[in-house]
Amino acid sequence: MSNEVEETMKRIQSHKGVVGTIVVNSEGIPIKTTLDNTTTVQYAGLISSLADKARSVVRDLDPSNDLTFLRIRSKKHEIMVAPDKEFILIVVQNPTD
Amino acid sequence: MEVLTDRPKATMSDRRAELERKKAKLQALREEKERRRREKELKDVKESTDRAQLLAGGDRKELDEMLSEVGVAPLSEIYSSLSTVNSLTPEPSRNHTPDTSLQPNSLSNNVVAVRKKAPQLSVVPVQTTNIPPKEVVLYTKQTQTTATGHELRDAHATDYYDEYNLNPGLEWEDEFTGEDEENSLPHLGVGKLPPGILPHGLPQVKEVQPAVTQLEQEAKKEQEAKEVRELSEEEKQMIILSEDFQQFMDRTGRIMERALCETVDIYTDYSGIGEEALDEKCHQRISFNRTFFDERWSKNRTITSMDWSPQFPELLLASYNNNEESPNDPDGVVLVWNTKFKKTTPEYIFHCQSAVLSTTFARFHPNLILGGTYSGQVVLWDNRVQKRTPIQRTPLSASAHTHPVYCMAVVGTQNAHNLISISTDGRMCSWSLDMLGQPQEILDLHRMQGKPVAVTCLDFPSSDVNNFVVGSEEGAAYSACRHGTKAGITETYDGHQGPITGISVNAVQGGIDFSHMFLTSSFDWTVKLWSLKDSKPIYSFDDNGDYVLNVKWSPVHPALFAAVDCCGRLDLWNLNQDTEVPAASVTVDGMPALNKVTWTPSGLHVTVGDNLGRIHVYDVAENFAHPRHDEWNKFLYTTQELRNSQVDEELEKLNYPPSSINTSY
Repeated sequence: MSNEVEETMKRIQSHKGVVGTIVVNSEGIPIKTTLDNTTTVQYAGLISSLADKARSVVRDLDPSNDLTFLRIRSKKHEIMVAPDKEFILIVVQNPTD
Repeated sequence: MEVLTDRPKATMSDRRAELERKKAKLQALREEKERRRREKELKDVKESTDRAQLLAGGDRKELDEMLSEVGVAPLSEIYSSLSTVNSLTPEPSRNHTPDTSLQPNSLSNNVVAVRKKAPQLSVVPVQTTNIPPKEVVLYTKQTQTTATGHELRDAHATDYYDEYNLNPGLEWEDEFTGEDEENSLPHLGVGKLPPGILPHGLPQVKEVQPAVTQLEQEAKKEQEAKEVRELSEEEKQMIILSEDFQQFMDRTGRIMERALCETVDIYTDYSGIGEEALDEKCHQRISFNRTFFDERWSKNRTITSMDWSPQFPELLLASYNNNEESPNDPDGVVLVWNTKFKKTTPEYIFHCQSAVLSTTFARFHPNLILGGTYSGQVVLWDNRVQKRTPIQRTPLSASAHTHPVYCMAVVGTQNAHNLISISTDGRMCSWSLDMLGQPQEILDLHRMQGKPVAVTCLDFPSSDVNNFVVGSEEGAAYSACRHGTKAGITETYDGHQGPITGISVNAVQGGIDFSHMFLTSSFDWTVKLWSLKDSKPIYSFDDNGDYVLNVKWSPVHPALFAAVDCCGRLDLWNLNQDTEVPAASVTVDGMPALNKVTWTPSGLHVTVGDNLGRIHVYDVAENFAHPRHDEWNKFLYTTQELRNSQVDEELEKLNYPPSSINTSY
């Protein structure tokens, strides 16, 4: 089964322009990554807290609502965040490529 | 000090006398108080009796009589007893007066006095009134937002300058048209104004937040650093292997890929770009759209069948034959592709041990996918379970298929539908999806001489569950029916010189019913048009120069069909325009053998599957794919004309036998 996880990671990573893929748990601790350690830890901590904040914003606006996806477009990158109950998938891509 | 010590000696006698006096006075006061109270009580009793007398008046006697009849003492007695009770009560109450503690002698006396008197008890009616407490309703009001925007400031003197409006440029936006350097410069300059020089404009008054000192910041940083604890490899592996994680990866991976493939640039600036968008695509009847290919799962595998999801029109199901170059991978593969998103990987991957030769969505169950295999098993996959192998399969026994299943179809209605599968030994089984353990019906298709029909392809006319047409390896097409006295082959359509590869019944709804018209493609390089009513073909399309491997009617246009051949050619024929040459033709890159062709339910796209594992999607121009309202009548006229010319040809053949033609030259 775990090779299906590997396969998914590999598939995502093989997309054009993808810089890195990180999976973190709800506490912001990285579980799988394709980036180096320091970058991963930085992304994991910052993005998970941002995702938490975004989720609380969505829920405060409408308690029956929930956050499903988060895209952050910057000049250099696009960070795509797919949050779930227990884990968060983060993909950093270079949209200009 | 001396005065104080002297005083007690000198005034001792005086003070004693004074104390005595005071005691006597107190006693007198107390007695006076007691007397007054008694007087008041007596007065109260008198008043109440008076009132009772007033109330009762002359009727008092009657009342007394009535009461005595019931067995109650007359009123006067009650009143008298009342007065005695009242007079008695003050006696014990004396014990509770605060001053008694000061007189220990009097206390013992009183107690004795109380005990001496025998208490006379009697029933006293007491009027009770119940006053409910006033209910006080309180409301509280509060807001539920968490405080945001608390910017932490450093404890530096320069920061206080921000209290003033230092950035006039931000407030008066219209004064500055752009963000050029000149405008951004003052912004920087003002920030460095020396203390004491204030910028122009009124200062903004804000609450000054408590400054965060360097120490606090460091403490916070330390806390954050502590939180990021690294998991050990084992812990990570545990999480990765957990069911939750697998599901999460499966779900979010799919979403992420869709998001990644979204190439629409939301920053498109239309004001800057010229009108290059108008390309020649509009003028083409058929244009390439995309290819579906998976390096691992579809490479070198021939596409054996394709189907579109009835529930989700963007989902394309394709089955693949075995890959001879990778013997370790499963033989049979079924992939579900998504045409809606631009992601290049399959939505779902399923496989099984035997090569899958035919596949179909279980029409009324959006999650189920059916496959007919080379071994003869019919297998069932479910996309709700995290499993790529079939969740159910039919048995490999003489009661079901023992030969390859090249064709399958789900027919019927929501409440009564069956899966029909036919193997190359001519056995047709109908299955209930609830029970794949054994077929509901078995029918062996035989030709007149009793030889089984090697069925290669099958099609049901739309909304028909009983009658169907099949193509065979021996080159003949047959019509057959499932039920009734004539169950089995009903009619033979001979005409092809080679095995039939594809069969398609016209399924377009409209003013005129053409469901008796069907097409067959064959290894003999031709496509033939038939009517169920006629055992001879109406027309033969002889434009191809190689095996024609599949043919399909358009689902929306009555006179349009697609055919694919062995040398990579995809032809679209519009019989209302031309019957001699295809209306549109395209050759797939690399000229692979095109094994299967399908239309999307909208009729706007054609997908072709080749022998190398690629599915090519072509767009059909809308004006070409959609029929005009007169198309049905025109098609009726065309078929009539084709029949007439065929009759003419045959008449000519009869009149001039080939030998005579030769001699005439």
